Amino acid sequence: MRFWVPWLLLCAGCGALEFHPYELRGADRDRHAASLEQLRRDAHEGPLRFAVLGDIQLFLDDSASAMKDLERHDVDFVVQLGDLTEFGSAQEYDWVARLLDRLPVPSFAVIGNHDVLGNGADIYRRAFGPTFFSFRHAGSRFVLYDSNSREYGFPGNVPDLEALRDALEPELGIAHTFTFSHVPPGHGDFDASLVEPLEQLQAERGISISFHAHIHDFRDEVRRGVRYFVADSLDHRNYLLVTVQGGVVEVERVFY
Amino acid sequence: MAARWHSRALALALLLLALDVRAEGPPDERPWYVPDHAALQLAGSIGLLSAGPGWGFLDDALDAQLLLGWAPPAVAGEDFLTVTLKGQWHPFRLRWSGWSVRPLTVGLLLSYTFGDEYFVTLPDRYPDGYYWFKTGLRPALLLGGSVGRPVPALGLRNLEGYVELVATDYRLVHFLRNPVTVETGLFSLALGARLRF
Repeated sequence: MRFWVPWLLLCAGCGALEFHPYELRGADRDRHAASLEQLRRDAHEGPLRFAVLGDIQLFLDDSASAMKDLERHDVDFVVQLGDLTEFGSAQEYDWVARLLDRLPVPSFAVIGNHDVLGNGADIYRRAFGPTFFSFRHAGSRFVLYDSNSREYGFPGNVPDLEALRDALEPELGIAHTFTFSHVPPGHGDFDASLVEPLEQLQAERGISISFHAHIHDFRDEVRRGVRYFVADSLDHRNYLLVTVQGGVVEVERVFY
Repeated sequence: MAARWHSRALALALLLLALDVRAEGPPDERPWYVPDHAALQLAGSIGLLSAGPGWGFLDDALDAQLLLGWAPPAVAGEDFLTVTLKGQWHPFRLRWSGWSVRPLTVGLLLSYTFGDEYFVTLPDRYPDGYYWFKTGLRPALLLGGSVGRPVPALGLRNLEGYVELVATDYRLVHFLRNPVTVETGLFSLALGARLRF
């Protein structure tokens, strides 16, 4: 009967065995920390360029095309704006992680409302790291946070404005700050009591661009002097390409 | 946690029931609700191990099972407890020197996961229809086959080993929308044994 043992190990190794849809398993750990390390290693001169991707959910093949198209552009890194998954399951997290792995550059991802479902938030924290995450690169600052207020029943601290206030402290040598969250302020799934404080805070701290997703349709507007973008979901087959050259920030919609 | 202990007691009761009914006379004299087999399964998206009683119909061409599944934190990162109702149809049976081979099994399962993080009815914080699926209730399609033979020494009419490919709802939906990315990821694998008594 021993003959089945190696097969069993092989199957476990290739992920054919699944013990539960929301299991916390596999080698994918702390992707954000690894991405940050890669970003430090690959630091270079010249303009800063990064891509911003909308909801993935059920659009894996469209997302795969986005990864392919991104090879045409010389980006430093990629930020995905949440809803990596539809069901928040471990298998979907894995499919998306493998797609992001196709990129030659580091990637970061915000947590979306679908990613929280079931045990999804734990899978996210295991695979990517904390849901609040900020880093500096090439004289700019990037802050990713959780704005899925409805998922937690509008507790009053999602998004975490205290953490945001700290992360957005003025800092020497930082010319631009970009923030990223899934649900845009003003949407019904964003805590209504926190919309004004958030927009006020972002205005005070001179945020260059506030990026969001969730509604699957592109928006570009200015509130209190801050530019707010909502990226299309990836079934619309486009993403945002951001170029920072000195004081100038340019955003282009790239269709593929 | 209370729910988990209750369900564990239920699991034990189901297993004892499955083992106990063996003594209750020849197969054709049993009332329909008395299980005529027990199943033990590895993986298949309903636990590391799952087990429970089963009922065969139409000369075992149709099977139904009620399985309790458990995945411990050591292998799944968390404690998962599920109860699953499974139905299978084995359209063909080939016999060969004491062995019976059923090369094709098609089936359906519906699995419920215990725990507050999984919902069956949408919690109050959401408007109606906010999510179109239920995280606590998982339907899946099954494709498989089995091989077995009688083991009179253990009082078994048939002892079968089976393999099942399990396509859960989220795998199916993603596969239909994204065949290129998903490929063989449509299925997870289950291995198991059916003890017919």
